[in-house]
Amino acid sequence: MNRDGPFTAGRLRLIAAAIVVVNGFFPAVWILLTSVKPELELVRKPITYLPHEFTLDNYVQVFRQQPLGLYLANSVIVASASTVVTLVVSACAAYAIARLRLRYRDLILSAIIASSTFPLVTLLVPIFQTMRAVGLLNTYPALILPYVVLSLPVCTLVLVSFFQSIPRDLENAAMIDGATRFGAMWRIVVPLAAPGVFTAGILAFVNSWDEFLLALSLNSAARMRTLPVGIALYQGEFTFPWHIIAAALVVAIVPIAVLIALFQERVVGGLTTGGMKG
Amino acid sequence: MSSPAPTLDVRTSQPRLRLVDRIADPSERVLALLLLAPAALFLGLIVVYPIARLIYNSFFDLRMSGGQSAPFVAFENYALALTDKIFWNALWNTVLVTIITVIGALLVGLGLALLANLPYRIRWPVRLALLLPWAMPLAFAGLIFAWFFNTDYGVINDWVTRLGFTPLQWLLQPGTAFAAVCIAIIWKSSSFIGLILLAGLQMIPRSLYEAAEVDGATRFQQFREVTLPLLVPSIVVALIFRTITALQTFDIPYTMTKGGPAHATETLAMLIHSTTIDYGDIGYGSTLAVLMFIVSMAVTAVYLRRLQRD
Repeated sequence: MNRDGPFTAGRLRLIAAAIVVVNGFFPAVWILLTSVKPELELVRKPITYLPHEFTLDNYVQVFRQQPLGLYLANSVIVASASTVVTLVVSACAAYAIARLRLRYRDLILSAIIASSTFPLVTLLVPIFQTMRAVGLLNTYPALILPYVVLSLPVCTLVLVSFFQSIPRDLENAAMIDGATRFGAMWRIVVPLAAPGVFTAGILAFVNSWDEFLLALSLNSAARMRTLPVGIALYQGEFTFPWHIIAAALVVAIVPIAVLIALFQERVVGGLTTGGMKG
Repeated sequence: MSSPAPTLDVRTSQPRLRLVDRIADPSERVLALLLLAPAALFLGLIVVYPIARLIYNSFFDLRMSGGQSAPFVAFENYALALTDKIFWNALWNTVLVTIITVIGALLVGLGLALLANLPYRIRWPVRLALLLPWAMPLAFAGLIFAWFFNTDYGVINDWVTRLGFTPLQWLLQPGTAFAAVCIAIIWKSSSFIGLILLAGLQMIPRSLYEAAEVDGATRFQQFREVTLPLLVPSIVVALIFRTITALQTFDIPYTMTKGGPAHATETLAMLIHSTTIDYGDIGYGSTLAVLMFIVSMAVTAVYLRRLQRD
């Protein structure tokens, strides 16, 4: 492997890593740099790379002149609530599929997974009609309920594989000791599956945090917008306030970036379980 | 203890006890059904019922502002769609976006996976670099790439100028706008494909490469004879995922170009959205959605056929 010349294995590896890292981080870094440049520097040619003049004004503006705090709160509420409901619903289903005597087990799992192949936009029209009819447009449940279905397939898959990895004997032992099946599930299986539940939770949270089409269509009133909708609609008729959009994007990306940075391995594990079996 | 009260007590308490017992420890089948019920309820309300209602809608001239009367028009909406140039344009754009971004994201994703699979001492920067594009909302990727491709102040035109070419009006001309949208989609989706393929690569036993090396296989031969064949299952999974999401493309063109210029980047999902939500034509929008549903189910069916055959 160790050849002479400038391209040693170690150096090639470094170049390879640099390509992957630059590809992944460049857009986020560029928007971060944009967000700390004053508005006038952004409309100057030739463009600057590192900020000539550093400012945090854009961040002040984005909270003062635009209701970014409100969008942030909406996103947190919708994503958290839908994550909790998704976890309860998918944990129940996954336990039944992984553990209980069940006819058509494979068919049921396939049906749940198949629902993720239906294009969301085709469901949009009737969901919109229904939410309108029951007066739920521009409310939190309008998004929370569909988001549960959005993440149900992947969460069920992840949880089924976690439940299957917990030895059955543990549960049986608890039941011999007098626990009911429900008690055994609650006291033995759920705590042992906690890492799986956590992984599924992150996937559900990211899905809800990122969703755009339904949020745009069902909750377009200014006070109900989630972050992606709120920021996308910053664009004026003719002008893009790029300094404002950049600062808002940074604020919106940071929470999700921190979440995945902290739990990288878990997220990767969850994604690939979902991917491999789906 | 001679009063009739205790007898009464026993009679009422016995069934009550049994009921409690049953809730606490129902038979396995009952418990299974109870546990599956919430999921079934959600899927029924938010997937099955809407699809039925969508098909029903498509036979009516249904407007959001039309009040109660929605005349039955049989297949008129469908006839309208099949002769609607804007529909065919959106369908064509969707198919083109799908083909280009599926192939593009697969190639880029494979490249990223191969690079990320090298034996690094510190793994987290590479892993995070694959996760960040996945975790970022599509709408944000669209906004960021719109800024990249900005004619006057975008970083892409800065590079174009530095290389000595004339800067392009990327998002203002049909061809370049379409290309820019595809590039943004490929960037956003290739990292997820990279993650799936990386997991596939890591499952290939090292011993196979050692054996190939003993047999005198070159690096490229090893890739072609060992890596690629063993990676096929992961590639198929990535392909299915990517195709299904590509057919639904909405967020990135919406935030980059709003479908313009002159419908050049308008996808089927965008057309359905604008027809129903912006123009309130629910009947026609539902018809377009049914057509899209048929297209995407057909694609899924083709893939599943292939999967079963393999």
